[in-house]
Amino acid sequence: MQFNPCMKHKLIRDSARHFAETELAPIAAEIDKNATFPVAVIEKMKKLNYFGLQAPKEFGGAALDSVSAAIVVEELSRVCAAVGLCVTVHNGVAVFPFLQFGNKEQNEKYLPRLARGEMIGAFSLTEANAGSDAGSVETTAVKEGGDYVLNGTKIFVTNGGVCDLALIFALTNTDRQQLQSSVFIVESSYEGFLRGELEDLCGMRANPVSSLFLENCRVPEENILGKLGMGMKIGMTTLDNGRIGVAAQALGIAQGAFEAAVKYAKERQQFKKPIASLQTIQNYIADMATEQAAARLLLYRACELKDAGQPYGCEAAMAKLYCSSVASKTTSLAVQIHGGYGYSKEYDVERYFRDAKVTEIYEGTSEIQRMVIARAVLAKLTL
Amino acid sequence: MLKLVVCIKQVPMVTELPWDEKTGTLRRDLAPGMMNPACKHALEAALQIKEKYSAHISVITMGPPAAKEVLYEALAMGADGTLLICDKILAGSDTYMTSWILAQAIRKHCANVDLILCGAFTADSETAQVGPQLAESLNLPAVAYVEKIEMNGRILRVRRIVDNFRETLEMECPALVTVSMENYLPRYVGLGGLQSAFGENQIKVLDAAALGIAAADVKKQGSRTKVRRVFLRKTQKENEYFTGVAVNVVNEFLNKYERKISTVIGKSIEGKERTRGK
Repeated sequence: MQFNPCMKHKLIRDSARHFAETELAPIAAEIDKNATFPVAVIEKMKKLNYFGLQAPKEFGGAALDSVSAAIVVEELSRVCAAVGLCVTVHNGVAVFPFLQFGNKEQNEKYLPRLARGEMIGAFSLTEANAGSDAGSVETTAVKEGGDYVLNGTKIFVTNGGVCDLALIFALTNTDRQQLQSSVFIVESSYEGFLRGELEDLCGMRANPVSSLFLENCRVPEENILGKLGMGMKIGMTTLDNGRIGVAAQALGIAQGAFEAAVKYAKERQQFKKPIASLQTIQNYIADMATEQAAARLLLYRACELKDAGQPYGCEAAMAKLYCSSVASKTTSLAVQIHGGYGYSKEYDVERYFRDAKVTEIYEGTSEIQRMVIARAVLAKLTL
Repeated sequence: MLKLVVCIKQVPMVTELPWDEKTGTLRRDLAPGMMNPACKHALEAALQIKEKYSAHISVITMGPPAAKEVLYEALAMGADGTLLICDKILAGSDTYMTSWILAQAIRKHCANVDLILCGAFTADSETAQVGPQLAESLNLPAVAYVEKIEMNGRILRVRRIVDNFRETLEMECPALVTVSMENYLPRYVGLGGLQSAFGENQIKVLDAAALGIAAADVKKQGSRTKVRRVFLRKTQKENEYFTGVAVNVVNEFLNKYERKISTVIGKSIEGKERTRGK
């Protein structure tokens, strides 16, 4: 069991931090305010393998281990959570399913382009009536000749506004008795693939979250990821991995807010001394530091289990549940420590505060994480 | 193919570190390390030479085992070979000793080098001595504070800014340059490069014996300087506050400082009409 970061993990963190602080820090507040996707920075990130974190070298990826990938997402999110989100969704739930379920032809066709960022990926499960309850998906795929014709509406699609490829969950058998779903690789250039307006969201505003409409969208049969009917399996496996990414993102937001709060507490003078010398503020800082350290250990444990090829779904859910809760609490305390200034858009903690909330919602709400964890615990014969 | 050697140093990531009163050296263990910024610029210069003229880049550092980190980073950026000189008997070397040891390593392991690049100075001790001393040790021509390098066969044309003058100098390889931070902005480290650096490459580690340096040599060659006392200089400047109505504040400020400002900007502002209100 290793608790010290190895040299590689330290260098990965230093490098990602240097990039984020140089390229993202100067624009993070502005792109949040204007809800703009930072195309120029994203282009630079593509060349540095941010879009192929764990894809193998032969496909143009960086082939990082899972702890390294989590560190990268943490560091991006520490400065700009919306870009951290773009990267973690692309890698965690768009590239990852190919690595797990893609066949040779699919991987050769799509992985190099995804890993180099020539295609930005999205993952579309959520619909108006299907979120936590993934079984209620209403989008359909009907076979016609060598194609499937897709119809339906996906909502709250992260990267939706800019994605070149979306993994779409659709029912391939709507018979109530034999309900069956599959995952389709849908390129944005396919006819019948339409994007909705960008959502006007509370946080992560620089990420182009949108709806996707599939209107008689013809998708070749060979674009079924894995096999016909594997929808639920792909979805659940992918979400396990996605949760590691969101946990990392939440932790990065918490870290950013924490650092801002500590800095402010040392600088801000009240009663003729820095507020960091007040016990109440010290208690906040101690709790924030402790909870973040615990959250980080939970996250890296899930990563290690994943890389060791062991089941990690429950641990990923724990990491996601706890990291997102820590992010919400930490960012709230960071605003509190900043007082009135923290409530102003002049300070970054206001943005962190808005960004943190959604980490308790997407990639499975905290309620769903508890369900996953409880099921795993109750299924065990010995505890 | 050109043979380049880049000498780099790991420095603490913070600007002010406590000193060890007894030894007069920095308590480097108290802060995480990073590649010295000017050394990174020197490496970038080497990488650009490699891209333009084709070259093999060896990167050398001396330090504790943890200094391997900056070598991995150099590999990730595009260096071809690395060498860590690591031995307790070399600890606490001053710049003279360090440059002498680096010279031994280069003679032994990087024979036929065409160009040696060093950072112009380090962020921690900032003596700017190791590069020029290394050139002396190896009896090579050298130019310090270089901001641009061009090669024409064996002729090296370098540009530097000294005392506000821009100089262009030529020298013949083999030679040494120390690179300033004016130009050669280091590239970002790619994540794939980092993974590869750790996956495929081995850092060559040499102790003093491997360089043919015995404890007696260390004593004989010796560090020629000894830090007797280290202290932080007290701030000598004091803030001055002007208070009152803006117009008066500006006038008061200019009355007091217009001559100094004129000198600094090289243009007289004395006697100019200052405010519309006047």
